[in-house]
Amino acid sequence: MTAIDGSGFMTGGVSRAQFLRILGGLAAGAAVPGLLSACGGGSGDSDSLSLVGVADEKAPLDLLTKAYTDSGSGITFKTSYAPTDQVQTSLRAQLGGGNAPDIHALYPGSGSAMSTTDIAKAGLLADLSGQAWTSAIPANLKSSFQYEDKVYLFSSGLTVIGTIYNKSVFAAAGVQIPKTWSELIAACEKLKQAGKVPLALGAQTQWVTQLITYALVASHVYRDTPDFDDQMIAGKATFAGSGWKQSMALYMELRDRGFFNDNPNGTTLEQQTAMVGTGQAAMAVQVAPLLPAFRDAATSSGDIDMFPFPSADTAEQVYTWSGANVGIGVHAKSKNKDAALKFVEFLGQQENINTWCEAVAAIPLKRDASSKVDPALQSFLPLIDAGRVAPVGQRWPNPEVQPTHFTVIQDLLAKKITIDDGLKKMDEVYRKSS
Amino acid sequence: MSTPVLEASPTAPPERPARRRRPRNRLGPPWLFVAPALLCYGAIVLYPSASGLLYAFTDWSGLGDWSFVGLRNFDSLLHDDRALGALRNTLLLTVAIVVVQNGVGLLLALGVHARIKSRMLLRAVFFAPVVVSPVMVAFLWKYVYNPEPNAGLNGLLGAVGLGSLRQDWLGDPSLALWSVAAMVVWQHAGYSMVIFLAGLEGIGKDVQEAATIDGAGPVKRFRYVTWPLLAPATTINVMLSTIGGLKLFDQVFAATGGGPGYATETLSTVLYKEAFVFGRYGYSTAVALVLALFVAAVSLVQIRYLRAREDQT
Amino acid sequence: MNRYRPRTLVLELLMVAVGVAFLFPVYALIVLSLKDAGQIASTPLALPAPPTVDNYTEAWSAASLGSALLSSTLVTVVSLVLLIAIGSCGAYFLARRATRLGYGLYILFLLGIVLPFQLGMIPLYNLFSKAELIGTPQALILFYTGIQLPFTIFLYTGFIRALPADYATAALVDGASHFQAYTRIVFPLLRPITGTVLILNAVFIWNDFFTPLLYLGGSDHETIPVRIFAFVGQYVSDYGLVFAGLVLGAIPILLVFLLLQRYVIKGFASGLKG
Repeated sequence: MTAIDGSGFMTGGVSRAQFLRILGGLAAGAAVPGLLSACGGGSGDSDSLSLVGVADEKAPLDLLTKAYTDSGSGITFKTSYAPTDQVQTSLRAQLGGGNAPDIHALYPGSGSAMSTTDIAKAGLLADLSGQAWTSAIPANLKSSFQYEDKVYLFSSGLTVIGTIYNKSVFAAAGVQIPKTWSELIAACEKLKQAGKVPLALGAQTQWVTQLITYALVASHVYRDTPDFDDQMIAGKATFAGSGWKQSMALYMELRDRGFFNDNPNGTTLEQQTAMVGTGQAAMAVQVAPLLPAFRDAATSSGDIDMFPFPSADTAEQVYTWSGANVGIGVHAKSKNKDAALKFVEFLGQQENINTWCEAVAAIPLKRDASSKVDPALQSFLPLIDAGRVAPVGQRWPNPEVQPTHFTVIQDLLAKKITIDDGLKKMDEVYRKSS
Repeated sequence: MSTPVLEASPTAPPERPARRRRPRNRLGPPWLFVAPALLCYGAIVLYPSASGLLYAFTDWSGLGDWSFVGLRNFDSLLHDDRALGALRNTLLLTVAIVVVQNGVGLLLALGVHARIKSRMLLRAVFFAPVVVSPVMVAFLWKYVYNPEPNAGLNGLLGAVGLGSLRQDWLGDPSLALWSVAAMVVWQHAGYSMVIFLAGLEGIGKDVQEAATIDGAGPVKRFRYVTWPLLAPATTINVMLSTIGGLKLFDQVFAATGGGPGYATETLSTVLYKEAFVFGRYGYSTAVALVLALFVAAVSLVQIRYLRAREDQT
Repeated sequence: MNRYRPRTLVLELLMVAVGVAFLFPVYALIVLSLKDAGQIASTPLALPAPPTVDNYTEAWSAASLGSALLSSTLVTVVSLVLLIAIGSCGAYFLARRATRLGYGLYILFLLGIVLPFQLGMIPLYNLFSKAELIGTPQALILFYTGIQLPFTIFLYTGFIRALPADYATAALVDGASHFQAYTRIVFPLLRPITGTVLILNAVFIWNDFFTPLLYLGGSDHETIPVRIFAFVGQYVSDYGLVFAGLVLGAIPILLVFLLLQRYVIKGFASGLKG
């Protein structure tokens, strides 16, 4: 029944000698790749830089790393991209284990797992302050790039939160672009009568929940109190006692008037995009990098455009949310720091900033004649140039505030808590020491 | 009962005398059998986990310096409402998964073990979900769970006249956890099936035939012959699905992130968020330790009971 | 029992119906992989009109799936061999040593299934980092062997305990060494569970994403999931490419599963058990 038939391990018995030989062969086989990689040159090569980025940066960085290599710099890149959550986790593990890549993804400001402040505080980022491009950093965004007055983040430009909308749906319902809050309400009513979902909201994807709050808070808090973040850090202001309350009330007014799709808590980002793209819904409050996704979903990509969310009572009072794009930082203890810093200088050149921003539908830090700003973002330029922007949420003192905001909004949409309870919770979490 | 025949070894004595010889080693195989496993496991799992445990008593954020804080993390855990809510969700999820996944897995295994023509194809079909990465399973199921009345599962219900059963599968806080459970059961039923199949394959045909000859119908055959002989497979399945359920992370996090609100927050999602999102690595290790102790306690009780049951058959 | 009766036909139809229902998300995966970005976004679940294989060619080239396939295969195969060799031997020891120490060791191994992965993740990473093994497939192979040993041993022990000890004992009495008794008698009897151990471990290792990202990210040895998920962003994802890549990645494993099922069944056609 168990006759040895010589075909080896599985089909019958095997002699001890054969078994040991097989194991030995396997061990050798496993060692071969090791030998190969040892021969092929390891990391720590002075002409190869390791770069770990989030998948959203892949498109621009693929272009720019190639351009840098092709420009005769003598540098090649070992790149790795992954979804945001996994990059955050693996980067933190690598930073904690003392084995970080030369260049890695970095988020502006403070209050997230890979934000500039948190990593710089731990002494793990290289100072970028002397570089030429840093002079283009807008004054009101300096806190996003800096820690203790030194620049640690390279970001090519700004992204905005606005209203992405479907032009043919507007045209069919006879609706114009609303410039004030009351015009927005009227437009939504008209769209609802026409049988369309006025505002698609994909709250199942948690980070989407914060967008409307941020768009409203920009006008209702930061317009009158630009130093609101400083006040909160000093303990002189709270969420509950500020324009946050009114912002959330307005957010929920949209809910109560039935302007959202049914079941926003069960609707994902992709479904939200599809609704606007296919004309089932008219508008969605979103960040600019999503424009390509909406255009893909639309029958004709020309149908998709964007305007600033009319979060105030008059057009001139509207402030828009605008913040630095996710960017990169240089590891302080990198063995190739000089080469990495040179690459960042290269990235900071105008044409490369233009390339990066074009790839992700962002607005360059500094614009020149050759900057191609996405046509859908044209209406935001006046606000940005006039400084009517607020980078809400890039200065939380700890990384728990933002996720708490998400859950508060989801609970509000499900009518499980009141606005006061939600803001109280956010204040509690804000006060937690990290 | 057939006995295996050893290939004649040149060193074996040609004819066996009647007197007994003492067996080589009555106690069992030599330590060499388990040494490599112990070594590898110790180096890769035991030692790092033990040194990782140290952080449960610190305030390490994951980066930079830390200091000892004694039992403060455990004290915070006891007062952490979110963690306690997560514990409740974890238990509910696990019970649902263990019962339904293994029930379905057993039925599938019995089904494809029978001599139906399409059994090989069906095995692959039921196993296919196991092969898809958990994150992608969650993503695909979000299409199924689309709350719109004419899409996904809701659309299907509407098409067959069951429109009143339409739900906001992932957005309704009271339903979201069960939707996630259904998704996990779908993915892992094939897993349970495969293990039950291995058990079924091991039950000899002659045993089954003997029972049939004795006049037992299929149900009686199952209850008195098959089911008891499946005890080892059952032990394995129940234990693995319990531990897996208690530790479940990927599908939950990818499907809902713990939401809406905290409705699907489990101990593993809390653990992950504390460690890698909130920058409270020390606290998360304390949570991990408590989770590990809890799972260990449950498993120990389970294994004693299940092993005793195995020994009875 | 071997006849194809009407009752069997009913069962067959029922199972096929269940199979169809089961397949729906897999249907979604395949259908999505055959669509362009526009259709994926607007009408995800409808049949592709017309179907396109562009995603597959793009996945193959842009994600360098060819080399990823080699890396994944190398890591998976070597880990599996080690797991089966070391794990089954260890399980045999634990199953046959009816002492308290034996039981204690068994529980020690089970601890490995119970412990959350995050507990030892960073210390282990540091260990490999100090040994300068980060970026090598060996690190990953050792990792998988270590963490899957408890599971493998758990499966094997359960089944070995169910085997009557008489066969092996007879061999021992006949003068065979433990090693011979094990490899010639016991291990061949473990075919079904070896097949099961093989496929379940293979699926886990093949699909694992995070650890290969952590250990091999950026190196030449990235595995399939690492290459594919590079296209999943928070804002914009190339889903067509991702789904096509997933389908391509799933095919080898499904093939292995089918082959193993035949192998496992063949072992018992002779009705060895009694």
